Amino acid sequence: MAVAVAKRKQARGFGSERLREALVGYGFILLPMAFFLLFFIFPIGYAFYISRYDWSIFKGAFVGWDNYRKLYHDSIFWQHAVRNTLVYTAFVVPIEIALGLSLAVVVNQALRFRTFFRAAFYFPSLASSAAIAAIATYILASDGLLNTVLGHLGYHHTNAWFAEQSTALPAIIGLNAWTTSGTIMLFYLASLQAIPTDVYEAAAIDGAGAWRTFWKVTFPLLKPGHFFVAVVSIIGALQMFDQSFLIGGASGGPNYATMTVVLYLYNQAFNAIQFGYAATVGIVLFVFIFTVTLIQRLLFGKAEIG
Amino acid sequence: MAERARPPVLATQELAVEGEAAAGTTGAAGIPGRERADRVRTVIVYLILFGVAVLFAIPFLWSVSTSFRTLQDTAAGFSVLPRHWTTVGYHDVFHQYSFGRYTLNSFIIAGAITVSNLFLASLGGYAFARLKFPGREVLFLLVLGTLMIPDQLRLVPIYEMLVNWIPSWVGHLGWHNASFVNRNGVILIQLVLAANLFLMRQYFLTIPRDLEEAAKLDNAGYFKTYRKVMLPLAGPALAAVTILTFQGMWNGLFWPVVLLQDQSQYTIPIGIAQFIQKYTTLWPQLMAASVIAILPIVLLFVLFQRYFVAGVAASGVKG
Repeated sequence: MAVAVAKRKQARGFGSERLREALVGYGFILLPMAFFLLFFIFPIGYAFYISRYDWSIFKGAFVGWDNYRKLYHDSIFWQHAVRNTLVYTAFVVPIEIALGLSLAVVVNQALRFRTFFRAAFYFPSLASSAAIAAIATYILASDGLLNTVLGHLGYHHTNAWFAEQSTALPAIIGLNAWTTSGTIMLFYLASLQAIPTDVYEAAAIDGAGAWRTFWKVTFPLLKPGHFFVAVVSIIGALQMFDQSFLIGGASGGPNYATMTVVLYLYNQAFNAIQFGYAATVGIVLFVFIFTVTLIQRLLFGKAEIG
Repeated sequence: MAERARPPVLATQELAVEGEAAAGTTGAAGIPGRERADRVRTVIVYLILFGVAVLFAIPFLWSVSTSFRTLQDTAAGFSVLPRHWTTVGYHDVFHQYSFGRYTLNSFIIAGAITVSNLFLASLGGYAFARLKFPGREVLFLLVLGTLMIPDQLRLVPIYEMLVNWIPSWVGHLGWHNASFVNRNGVILIQLVLAANLFLMRQYFLTIPRDLEEAAKLDNAGYFKTYRKVMLPLAGPALAAVTILTFQGMWNGLFWPVVLLQDQSQYTIPIGIAQFIQKYTTLWPQLMAASVIAILPIVLLFVLFQRYFVAGVAASGVKG
């Protein structure tokens, strides 16, 4: 009663309380919205605009689709940047998901020191990529820890893993599968905890062992989680930059072995100073990633309805 | 950058809680002969877990161990601990390779972005959660949509804007000859992150409305309600925003590499990137720099682990 009376009074007092609320609302979101429009939404259009010009640092002649044509015929882009990125994605995604899921299933059980294990497995995901790349460079150096251990096991590998053309990308794949598995573990933990326990009890009554329970019960029930994790990992992998930049340098060395699409974009912008061309690479990457996201949305929608 | 995209967070979710283990392993205790098998299995599980934990820890321990070595020691074959303990590596990175400066720069950038995110994300989150205004849902979808825009697409346009437009705009406001291809730019383009705004809104939605009604009766304005009623109740969400933003910006490489050109503004990750390229074999120094990069995050993690490990409800927002 008292609330209703007070509200009515207030409404009369201000003429229109709803208008005031709306204005305050717009006021509160003004800065964030202006920020998102200026630095996120607008750059999409501006990037496309730039991609249609011969644009180094300053705007040059309008060239229409020339940058796109050039990109279509750019053999370094396709044979190294795109190829490496796809190979990287094709390997790192399944490995990190398998690793992350295994960790999640194990630390989801009633364990002693469970919090400690979760923390230990998650920590590499939090540490600086630069520091981890530095440590990896050291451990994978020609006389580094890994080669020392392998030597004791009877396998003699004498080159630095990141310096050799055939091992540089695989080494980065291994490194990133390790550092991302913790994040994936957390994603799966959230999904695992959404599974009701009576499902497991039913499986146990049927006499199913842990292995069978996992494949027949847990794994199918994680379906929405699988989609989500797969898409987040794929999008992340397609944008790989840090490790290539840190380990191979901006040139994606040795001999383009660690060149990725994003590193190529960075190179075109800041080494070749071809902003128009770099923007073109950005647009193509965006369209590709957007398509992946869209496919995920469609699959997700179906998973939820069916 | 994107490779370690940070998990979308719902501050309300608490994964680090002890005790509520989902089952899946117990079950068959009553069946004869199972008990011993179960015990053996338990031992094996623990062995594997500790083994994996040690494997995960070795790179970090090895870098700490190396950071206290002399250069000769690193070349003298394997030993778990340094043969001669020394802090020369740390001394060098601070005095010879400017890592003191880089550390300060990293703190400035991560700190400024964190503070501005706390304010703008909570204010915007409050408006989207509680205030009614036309177009609210559409605008919120727009905010979420920005999560799908990759940083790389924004690289060229944002660089152009920071070079040409923003300085002339702020010039009109009386800030002449401002430059944004530096620390200012790194901070400016990350003033508020959609993931943080989303997190704050979700948290505010869980707070009961009664408290605000009381504030309304007192005729408190909306800003006062936000500041005096809502913010004090949003502690866990604010903590999550603080920690995740600071961690992300402290580790950030892409935008600093693009925008920081003056060495006096370099952050630790750029310092390390440069060091890897230039002084490949100065291992004690490089490992000391890595320890400096990782240590603040270790401290944050140990102190506030539940906010890190908290969350990650697979909200499907990112992507």
